[in-house]
Amino acid sequence: MMGGYGDIKLLREDGLRLDGRKVDEMREVEIEAGILPAADGSAWVKHGLNVAVCAVYGPMEAHPRKIQRQDRCVIDVRYNMAPFSTSDRIRPGYNRRSREISKVTAESLESVVLVERYPRSKIRVEIEILAAEAGTRCVGITAAAVALADAGIPMRDLIVGVAAGKIEDTVVLDLDKAEDNYGQADLPMGILPTTGEIAFLQMDGDLSIEEYNTCVEYNMKAAKEIHELQKDALKRRYEEKMRGES
Amino acid sequence: MVELVPKLLQQELKRLAENDQRIDGRSRWESRDIKLETNCLYNAEGSAKVTWGETIIYAGVKFEVRTPWPDRPAQGSLMCGAELRPVAGRKYEPGPPSPESIELGRVVDRGIRESGCIDMDSLCIIPGEKVLGIMIDIHVLSDKGNIFDACALGAIAALRTAIVPAERFDVGEDYPLAVSMTPTMCSFTRVGGRYVLDANDEEELGGNERIHITLGDEGHLHSLQKGLKGTFTPAEFDEILQVAQQRCAELAELVNSQEA
Repeated sequence: MMGGYGDIKLLREDGLRLDGRKVDEMREVEIEAGILPAADGSAWVKHGLNVAVCAVYGPMEAHPRKIQRQDRCVIDVRYNMAPFSTSDRIRPGYNRRSREISKVTAESLESVVLVERYPRSKIRVEIEILAAEAGTRCVGITAAAVALADAGIPMRDLIVGVAAGKIEDTVVLDLDKAEDNYGQADLPMGILPTTGEIAFLQMDGDLSIEEYNTCVEYNMKAAKEIHELQKDALKRRYEEKMRGES
Repeated sequence: MVELVPKLLQQELKRLAENDQRIDGRSRWESRDIKLETNCLYNAEGSAKVTWGETIIYAGVKFEVRTPWPDRPAQGSLMCGAELRPVAGRKYEPGPPSPESIELGRVVDRGIRESGCIDMDSLCIIPGEKVLGIMIDIHVLSDKGNIFDACALGAIAALRTAIVPAERFDVGEDYPLAVSMTPTMCSFTRVGGRYVLDANDEEELGGNERIHITLGDEGHLHSLQKGLKGTFTPAEFDEILQVAQQRCAELAELVNSQEA
């Protein structure tokens, strides 16, 4: 890990983190569904200082034809960071990092969407990170789940992106920028909140088995909290729709 | 595939135009409602979100310290780019920047640059060695028509509320960027045979030419662009220029009201 343990104090004397959070406390999360009129489904998620927007288009015809699957639809995910989303400007365009994140995000979404309902089709999921402050891939997954649901696409469950990690030999939930840069480990997960299954998993750093288990426990707890916010956002959206139509 | 829907739509647009009506009930020179929010993005030194009818764009300003161009050793630089990523609508596809997005970025860039609202000399830190570069990036999130005006509004609003992060570059204290003017853009599209202000996505499907006019504080012209197939007469231009004079002043007022 960059910097490494010992360079920068990340825990205060009173055991709280630099931003005042407890070790198992996540940053504040706000979710809104249906915010992009051009899209078939969309979501906006603010997670701490991260802001992600997701648009879903489809199901639509999959082309070129070689990407078609006879028995299911393909999910085409693009995770992208806006040039102004980070402290140093990012040159527009795809890079290795965003390609990898797009790939594993697509695969995790394919595990919850009832893809067999739409043979030979494609669902486009466009994740745009407008402000990045550690944990954007998780925020993207949380947003994608709400956007897919908003588009009316049948799913087994929603999916929630959360991360736990380790700073100063202490397991903490939901790393912020400093903790991500100078901490010892990061474990992002995509969790199906109803069943507790895991559809997305990455990790880097150094964790003991015990620490890993604590990370999973924290992530599961956070996933349930965020799940409630996802459902609230969708309910608000549908109440709005009903009012609009009556 | 024959584009059947645009063909049918064109007939309808023509019929509406003959009765001096528009597809969404607006009058000819009536704009959709505009909501402008500034300082809405963490990490951008200046930012704006524009909700223009159902069109949504974000603009973000970033600064960099760089070596000046050899022919302008004591001047900073300004660059404005727009991205039409697939998030913006069903018709947008992934890939390298499209001619449309390049045109969009460049037309907005010209309007701001040519108005002279940024004093390039003031961006010099050490002549010949260090100057500030300003980068405005525009991100279109929902294209429901007239992204040009929305992008131009977002760009100038983000610029006008930008703070130069001098501390981060070790060149003094942070300070607000000096922007001496508020150039704004007004676009007109030929719909059903006549020009209208602020065409929506359905009206744009008609596919006729559009004219973009950027005016500065004294109503001076700073950038003009005609896009898509079609011609217009000087008399038509005179008419829309008059509308633009009034409309651009209103838009500038909206931007300037953000700073208070």
